[in-house]
Amino acid sequence: MMTSSSGESRLRSFAAKVRGFLGGQQHDDEFDDEVKAHLQLLTDRFLQQGLSTKEAAAAARRQFGNTTLLQEDRREMQTLPSIEAWWHDLRYALRTLWRNRGFAMVSIATLGLGIGAATAIFSVIDNVLLEPFPYKGADRIVFPRIHGAQQSQDGGRQGYTAAEVLQFAENNHVFDGTTAAAEDLVLYKHGGGTEQFDGARVTPGTFEFFGMPALHGRVLQPSDYEPGAPPVFVMRYKTWKERFNGDLAILNQPLVLNGTARTLVGIMPARFGWYEADVLIPEKLTPGAKGSGSQIEWFFIGRMKPGVSVQQAESDLTVIANGMAKIYPQDYPTHFNVQLKKLGDTVIGHFEATLYTVLAAVGLLLLIACSNVANLMLARATTREKEFALRAALGARRARLVRLLMVESLVLAIAGAALGTFVAWGGLKLLVAAMPQNLIPTESVIELNGPVLAFTLCIAVLTALIFGLAPALQSSRRDLNDSLRDSGKGVSGGFRGRWVRDTVVVMEVALSLTLLIGAGLLMRSFEALRQVRLGLQPDHVFQTGLVLPADRYKTSEQLTEFVRPLLVRVKSLPGVIDAGESNALPPINFASSKMEISGKTPQDDWRVLFQNVSEEYFRVLGIRFKQGRAFSEAEVNDARKVAVVNETFVHKYLPNENSIGQRVRLASLESPADPARDAHDTREWFEIIGVVGDVTNSGLQVPIEPEVWTPYTITASGPLVLFVRTSQDPGTMMNAVQQSVWATDAGVALAFPGTLEDRLNKYVYAGPRFGFLLMTIFGCIGLVLVTVGVYSVLAYATARKTQEIGIRMALGAERGHVLGMVVRTGLRLVVAGMALGIAISSVLGRVIGNQLVGVTAYDPATLAATMLLLMLTATVACWLPARRAARVNPTVALRYQ
Amino acid sequence: MANAEERMEGTMDIKKSEVLQGTLDLMILKTLHALGPMHGFGIARRIEQVSRDILQLNEGTVYTSLLRLQQQGWITAEWGTSENNRKAKFYSITKRGQKQLELETENWERISGVIGRVLRLEGER
Repeated sequence: MMTSSSGESRLRSFAAKVRGFLGGQQHDDEFDDEVKAHLQLLTDRFLQQGLSTKEAAAAARRQFGNTTLLQEDRREMQTLPSIEAWWHDLRYALRTLWRNRGFAMVSIATLGLGIGAATAIFSVIDNVLLEPFPYKGADRIVFPRIHGAQQSQDGGRQGYTAAEVLQFAENNHVFDGTTAAAEDLVLYKHGGGTEQFDGARVTPGTFEFFGMPALHGRVLQPSDYEPGAPPVFVMRYKTWKERFNGDLAILNQPLVLNGTARTLVGIMPARFGWYEADVLIPEKLTPGAKGSGSQIEWFFIGRMKPGVSVQQAESDLTVIANGMAKIYPQDYPTHFNVQLKKLGDTVIGHFEATLYTVLAAVGLLLLIACSNVANLMLARATTREKEFALRAALGARRARLVRLLMVESLVLAIAGAALGTFVAWGGLKLLVAAMPQNLIPTESVIELNGPVLAFTLCIAVLTALIFGLAPALQSSRRDLNDSLRDSGKGVSGGFRGRWVRDTVVVMEVALSLTLLIGAGLLMRSFEALRQVRLGLQPDHVFQTGLVLPADRYKTSEQLTEFVRPLLVRVKSLPGVIDAGESNALPPINFASSKMEISGKTPQDDWRVLFQNVSEEYFRVLGIRFKQGRAFSEAEVNDARKVAVVNETFVHKYLPNENSIGQRVRLASLESPADPARDAHDTREWFEIIGVVGDVTNSGLQVPIEPEVWTPYTITASGPLVLFVRTSQDPGTMMNAVQQSVWATDAGVALAFPGTLEDRLNKYVYAGPRFGFLLMTIFGCIGLVLVTVGVYSVLAYATARKTQEIGIRMALGAERGHVLGMVVRTGLRLVVAGMALGIAISSVLGRVIGNQLVGVTAYDPATLAATMLLLMLTATVACWLPARRAARVNPTVALRYQ
Repeated sequence: MANAEERMEGTMDIKKSEVLQGTLDLMILKTLHALGPMHGFGIARRIEQVSRDILQLNEGTVYTSLLRLQQQGWITAEWGTSENNRKAKFYSITKRGQKQLELETENWERISGVIGRVLRLEGER
């Protein structure tokens, strides 16, 4: 028939609608005129038939029909819903929501929290893990590692000689660009004294490789590498900002670096962080030339050609490395292969696992939030079934009802989205502040991620819309009489939708428990970490590394001539209790040596960590003596062969013996070049004069190693660390100590000055704390959401049951009975959810397990505590509606409908 | 209220009203084809006259029909002056409308023929 709607005819009517929409008001007026004219003609006709004016007008209207409906029909056909109609719906929606403030606020808060948390975390993950580097083809940049077959998974050599780098760079078939850098400890001398920079020598083509222009000035050019070219260098943004206050005047000025006046030609943008270097100095690779040519010091990276897989590149480089192993067999294990690692792997390492855990947690949180919103919308819309049935009965079209609900859902969703955006923005600021800076690449700048925000907004808004609309679609389809009858009765709410709501609640409880258990485990793990005994008193200690110009400090005598007066100066500073010196910073000591004990058969695996210290060292750090004594001033000054060992040393190597008076020998302290070297020379043996309590020396999560301390005057090798015990805040010591150092030797620079506690916080506790802190926050948000979820579902169910409860009470049910009935209904869901949650957690336990210290993923205490917590909150959520139910007045309830 | 009741009675009736709507469209097309350009009032009178009061119709629905036909491009409208010197919109059938009319007339005759035969069959049993 006429209405057989082909696609073409639909298209035409849609085109007409759009035209009409754009046409606007004019249509309405024309149509009104037309209708008026028609009515007038009809009236005239009836007048002619002899009716009175009034009767004629009425008859005309009757014959013409309902003009308002007609106008509405026409509008619907001729134009898209007008702004006014939407505005009308909007005002209505706002009014309805205002009347249900509680519901609206909870929905908006739920949406906001879900969107905000998810966006913030996704942004961090994206910026730190997925796209941290702003370099050209950053995801294809890799560095090779010579991995021996016997080595642990993360082991292997990452440094190369210049000759090796050149071999890799010239003979590979898999890279479209390569570059290399080597560390350069730079002493910068200025009017006031000397400062230290982390420098890097970079090979030609480095800046072309990264494809980043300078922020100010220029990058290094090929001409800078020519012999006889004026010495220049480039500085990174952070150094320029922090050490030179971002002063542009230093650009193109010469700075004295390691005794050479070099011109600063460029400052790099903030996100440039190659080699974490403060200053970048040009250096050409010259195999075998100078002393440095044959040193294993270069870090080499390459950008794989597009389409080349890591495996292909690894086998290509392994071929090259095999060739080099024949030339330099001493540098290669017997069996090895080349492994390629992504650029970010150097920095992020273990922190990656923490970030992914947090990501999983936030995913769960978003799920909970969406479930909650879904449940709220479902519950609310179901209570309005009657309203919608009535509207439909009075002639509202389905599209009209859907539009009304859609506007309402949209208002909620948009408000939630706005709040969510704000939470994401604020949350990200907090996250960045809490983020352990040394665990993420310098290059990654964490900012709100647009696509991610859009994604979470979509998810949340869609959830609100779908679940807000479902009842409208349903109510307009079903038999209206049914709906009118059903929602009027108030008997144990219809079966429809109830199981959906129950399932959602069970899921929510399960997810929330999973979150809580994760948070609890990380918290316990962090606690365990905090309780690891450091073996020293880190409070009130200022520490700094000292960088000595290598040319003037070659012998132990020269070193002593600097350290002695420095310690005297520092000790005389106001607020200083004591000061000492060492060559390592707790809690990690890298210096390891083979060891022998006089009179014992040496075994291969007798290894110890060793440290060279001044006599005050144990005092300053509060390390306790179990036996014997510390070095005396004379012993240190005379470089006497005495040693202090830790308890682990005694337990491992001298059990059941008096260790005092035993003699030890450290292979690493014996200079191989010493012509007088003799295995039986008594000068090489150190007499043990004291035993101290264990001090963490390999990081907190690793068992303590045997350790030996000797006077620092024995050798001139190794870095120098100054420890100062203060009576005041150690953070205020910086300037005074610096002046003392420069007063002793103006050519010495401070490295990483700060308090010992800050250092421990930054390097030891920051990563785990970040993980546990976020998990705890998410756990709490999840708990709040789930409480709201359980409460809303129960409150809704009880409201629907008011009449039933009234009947029960009229028939003699006790209040306690009713209370129990409602609480039981709720707790059944909660218990089901908790069972599911335990199941999920035990599956996920393996994932989180590798981040835990001192606690297993199935820690009964944590499980019990989190379940108890959830149970308690859930009970409160059940009890509130139950109490209301028990207060029902039977007469009122029965009269209610 | 009539509309609402129709809607409430379920799917069967919705189809019936669609048939009615289509029929009205067809009658209007035919009227314009036979009598040339007319305004809404004239069309309503013509249908009243032809149907001899068998077809009770809200004259307003004529305008809904006219709009629909216009949107499909089967008729056009122009402002003009009516017999009693009023401004009125005059509708006339387009070429596409005439084609559609032929098509629909054929359709109608075929279907009413079939229905007639079926009904007669029923009577002969």
